[in-house]
Amino acid sequence: MRDYFIRRFLLIPPTIIGITILVFFIARIMPGGPLEQALMQGQMIQQMGEGRQSARLGEGSNITSRQREQLAALYGYDKPWYAAYADWLGDVAQGDLGKSFRYQIPVWQMIRDCLPVSIYYGLATLFITYGVCIPLGIVKAIRHRTWMDTTSSILVFAGYAIPGYVLGALLLLYFSFDLEWFPKRGFIGEDFEGMTLWSAIADPDVSALRMMGSLLWHSALPLCCYMVGSFAVLTMLMKNSLMDNLAADYMRTAVGKGMEFRKAVVKHALRNSLIPIATGFGNNISLFLTGSFLIEKIFNINGFGLLGFNSVVDYDYPVVMGVLLLSSILLLLGNILSDMLVAAVDPRIRFK
Amino acid sequence: MRLNPLTVKKLKRFRSIRRGYWSLIILGVFFALTLCGELLVNNKALLVSYDGHWHFPIFHSGIYTGEDFGLDYKSEARYRELDDFFERIGSDNFVIMPLVPYGPLEQDFRAGEYPPNPPSFERQHYLGTDSLARDVLARLFYGFRVAMLFSLAFVAISFAIGIATGCAMGYFGGITDLAGQRFMEIWSNIPLLYLVIIMRSLMPAGASTTMRITTLLLIMCAFSWVGMAYLMRTATYREKAREYVDASRVLGAGTFRILFKHILPNTVSIVVTFIPFMAASGITALTALDFLGFGLPPPTPSWGELLEQGTQRMDAPWIVTSTFVVMVTVLTLVAFVGEAIREAYDPRKFSTYQ
Repeated sequence: MRDYFIRRFLLIPPTIIGITILVFFIARIMPGGPLEQALMQGQMIQQMGEGRQSARLGEGSNITSRQREQLAALYGYDKPWYAAYADWLGDVAQGDLGKSFRYQIPVWQMIRDCLPVSIYYGLATLFITYGVCIPLGIVKAIRHRTWMDTTSSILVFAGYAIPGYVLGALLLLYFSFDLEWFPKRGFIGEDFEGMTLWSAIADPDVSALRMMGSLLWHSALPLCCYMVGSFAVLTMLMKNSLMDNLAADYMRTAVGKGMEFRKAVVKHALRNSLIPIATGFGNNISLFLTGSFLIEKIFNINGFGLLGFNSVVDYDYPVVMGVLLLSSILLLLGNILSDMLVAAVDPRIRFK
Repeated sequence: MRLNPLTVKKLKRFRSIRRGYWSLIILGVFFALTLCGELLVNNKALLVSYDGHWHFPIFHSGIYTGEDFGLDYKSEARYRELDDFFERIGSDNFVIMPLVPYGPLEQDFRAGEYPPNPPSFERQHYLGTDSLARDVLARLFYGFRVAMLFSLAFVAISFAIGIATGCAMGYFGGITDLAGQRFMEIWSNIPLLYLVIIMRSLMPAGASTTMRITTLLLIMCAFSWVGMAYLMRTATYREKAREYVDASRVLGAGTFRILFKHILPNTVSIVVTFIPFMAASGITALTALDFLGFGLPPPTPSWGELLEQGTQRMDAPWIVTSTFVVMVTVLTLVAFVGEAIREAYDPRKFSTYQ
């Protein structure tokens, strides 16, 4: 068992290298990269500066070959792609993710800046989802085929069918624009921007409670959207697995020998039915951080997902690579964590 | 054709699950309606009776000009105006328009108004117009057709790849399996959006709409078969270890015969139960890409594009609301069908305590 997990961990680096090398390669061979964009911009600026005179440029641009080389060196395009990849990998090994082409600030700083937002949403979604779904699933299983089960099933299925960002558009429309109950966009009120929780507690002018209030007020709608997707899956998983266990022989024995039904559920069936719930838990670790860039885009939340999306749209390759690296590490770790949890809660399962 | 008695039993069980069965019927009828949608939602008339002759513009291969019906222009006849015109002069001529007399690409600008315009029964814009003065209902209607066709092709192609890969990995095992697993792990981590955007920039400017849609479809399929491949791999492993496979091997069956005659028919339940979920994910993914502006090329009618417009124009609530309602209805119906199929293939009988 231990050997199995050690092997799994050892497989992470080659997989990561495989993913990054592929994306790096595609980024390099595709046209429309940052170098070409910079060249085009330079050309446009020059043309505007010199008026119509430079319209005679048959051979292309007024950029000299020396300037072109400088630009290429700036973006790391002066080397073949494998050498550039080796450079990048070497820097990463030393903890340096490079600088953003577009903003000229370190990639790690950009990622760090959006971590608090992403972690906040990730944790909040996790707690609320598990806090609501597990009890709901239990009630639905015990009250199977009653009106309460049927109506909540329809709601759960509708929730499953709604993509989070589509719900976001509707919520924004009615609750922010029409009724103005909630703020339109952003993570926190303007008064509190740029503050960390600690500095707010230390600062006597700002009450930490007010800040928390502002945070909750801003995040109520996005949280609904984050929840709506995972909600259905988890509730039904809980319900079905508890139903399986309620029908098991050991439950009949327990009830048959005179144990109270409620006690039998809590002591026997419930514990066993949490096993499949544990299986999915590890996958949260990546969801948690990467979130959904669609929801972030709708609500204009500067989280990790939106950072990744914007970098792809802007051809900002160092940021693309940084985000990809972090998210794939998290995904692979999450998969292993899932398996570990399964082995931990269910001693019958043995990995070889 | 005679069906396997087991299949008949499953079909019966599916029919007995009312919610899923009716969802499937509603979806099917809806889809059939959109397939002959030109008869229902169109800016061409169904029938024009002019001077005792009947004309069917929808089925006419060319176009009727205004002059054909006694108007004074040589471009294609504007049937809604023609209808009003006939009524005004009170002749025996008449025009029968489809239920919604607007095409999905047609812009209905009116003097002194700035679209989007709110829903109006009088103008027969039942769900209003979008920012380019196109009828929202017409775009939703044709958007459904596009999304369904796209998603069916999506399911077919990614299943074909997934089943072939998964089966090969599970059946041959060993190095094939190991290499395949590593490849799939890497492949599934590559961001789809990234490739979609790159492909768009690679597209030559003159590329046709069909070519753009096909490319998008292929890219999306290239990244969606992995889940199916994992499932098929496990299923094939399980089936391969069963005795009937050994038996047929002893009888001299070759690899192909075993795979196609024995293993595939026995794993079909996995494939079937997965279809609705895959179809739903195809629709959702396409809508998301359209919403971001990287999906179907404009002016193809699409839900994602409507959603995008709606979020830009919060003063026009009818756009987001109607798109939301249609999309959620369709996806919920698909989910009901999926649940019913799953239950039909894998019935769970529960004992309950009173």
